[in-house]
Amino acid sequence: MTEVTTLPDWTAIAPALALLGTAFVLLLADMIDPDDSNGTALTGISVTGGLVALGFALWYLLAGTGQPGASQEPTEGAIELFGDALVVDGMSLFFSVIITSVVVLVALASHEYLREHPYQAEYYSLVLLASTGMVMVTAANSFVTAFISIELVSLPSYALVASLKTNEGSVEGGLKYFLIGALSSAIFAYGIALVYVATGSLQFGAVEIAIADGVGFDSLLGLGMLMILGGIAFKIAAVPFHFWAPDAYEGAPAPISAFISSASKAAGFVLGFRVFVDVFGTATGVFDWVDAFLILSIVTMTIANFTALKQDNVKRILAYSSVAHAGYILIALAAFTGSVEGEISILGAGMAHLFVYGFMNTGAFLFIALAEYWDVGRTVEDYHGLGNRAPFACAAMTVFLFSLAGLPIGGGFFSKFYLLFATVTGGQELLGAALIINSVVSLFYYTRIVRAIWIEEPGEDLEPGEYPTGLYAAIAVAALATILLIPAFGFVIEYAEIAARMIGG
Amino acid sequence: MAVEPGWYLLLSAAVFCIGLFGVLVRRNALVFLMSIELMINAANINLVAFALVYGNITGQTFVLFLIALAAAEVAVGIGIILALNRNFESIDVTDAVTMRW
Repeated sequence: MTEVTTLPDWTAIAPALALLGTAFVLLLADMIDPDDSNGTALTGISVTGGLVALGFALWYLLAGTGQPGASQEPTEGAIELFGDALVVDGMSLFFSVIITSVVVLVALASHEYLREHPYQAEYYSLVLLASTGMVMVTAANSFVTAFISIELVSLPSYALVASLKTNEGSVEGGLKYFLIGALSSAIFAYGIALVYVATGSLQFGAVEIAIADGVGFDSLLGLGMLMILGGIAFKIAAVPFHFWAPDAYEGAPAPISAFISSASKAAGFVLGFRVFVDVFGTATGVFDWVDAFLILSIVTMTIANFTALKQDNVKRILAYSSVAHAGYILIALAAFTGSVEGEISILGAGMAHLFVYGFMNTGAFLFIALAEYWDVGRTVEDYHGLGNRAPFACAAMTVFLFSLAGLPIGGGFFSKFYLLFATVTGGQELLGAALIINSVVSLFYYTRIVRAIWIEEPGEDLEPGEYPTGLYAAIAVAALATILLIPAFGFVIEYAEIAARMIGG
Repeated sequence: MAVEPGWYLLLSAAVFCIGLFGVLVRRNALVFLMSIELMINAANINLVAFALVYGNITGQTFVLFLIALAAAEVAVGIGIILALNRNFESIDVTDAVTMRW
């Protein structure tokens, strides 16, 4: 590196610090003015904090922080902090960009959605604390920091899902999310303990070395890996750990459904990539996690898509669609071969798909937030004729849905195409075929929503209500990003492959 | 060392299984929380015992974090269970089933 001045190393976690600081500022603002029912200041603080964090993450990513310099090997250059407990590299910054973008959209969209909500400052600060946890997960380099960060994501999320305290659906969703989440975090903790029993350390690099040297307790290590896989599968809502997802998403306030289904899933995946590819990459002989992910991936996408077909509630359709997308992205882990080049293209494709998914899925859930704001109802029939009333938002929803299906109207087409391409070149035709078949199936239910919006006649006269500025702005930004990701996809995949090279290479 | 490490593994596996059994068969949300605590403490037994075997303090340090996190989890959980009780007038986890599939 030939830079004249470099920032001190600790500034590498500035995105997380910015989010954490914003959460404290929100609590302080609430302390000073507790009766403030005017949410504009709180939204402003949250959006500003999210933008600052996004700015830091983008700046670092583009400036090459934590990435290999010109004279270094592609796997070098990561900044390690706190005795290697945290690592800031291309992958953590790439995922920080995804997470902070989703936070900005969600905070912006919550403004009108929360107009009657009595605990707005708490709501926003919980969102920001959860996103601090997510950004920390991307940088976790030890099972200790990974577990603490995952809990920092989970605990505020439980509270946020149940935050409509007098609404039965919200509390029920929150309870189911909490019960299954607490169970899976206990299993995750036990898995970590077994890995410690087998290897004697918790830092990722040290565990990797211990596994490479051979461990005495192979069966315990294998069991520990299986339990860690369970904990991660819960975070990304993969079958058979997906049962909480439709209920939690349906009961939660719609911006929170967007937040959990996009950002929380990205955080789960980044941990999955780092733990399995980087740490357990050589332990496939102990427990064949590649085959486990292969089964998980195919079963997840198939069950989710076929269950989505028979749903009537739009939010549940999108919930199952988000479970199905977890299956698509799991291809990146299921197609692990051990060969460096194939590895980088498949991991890069998975990360790029998460990037695009962050925008299109958030956008789709924010459209539901808009529909809930207008009280149009929750089933597909209730959406009949919405296109006449809100043509712009409905056009954006059409872009999100077709992009989720993988039609060339948004970035989702390219990311699915890269996933498919990588499975074929990697000799994983089975996964490729499952991806194609499932995308075709998914087109049925996405088209059903689009048809309800545009073609069906409205059952009764819809009164054009007011047009919420924040929600509209968030939907517009998400739609713009989804469309712009078509020309910009080369750029995304380039950074995704740099990120993949840091762990896979 | 007075006790073979294998016995600690057996103890912790037993505690873990008792916790898992409680999670699967009990319907009271508070008993569910206690069962989760048992499962986390099973992990703690392993970590503490093998910190002694390996002679490093990594495991013991992690146990302190796990205890704190378990307490935080219970705090959030009891909040949700209170809200459950207000809305459904029971803390039976099988009562809150208005949403299915």
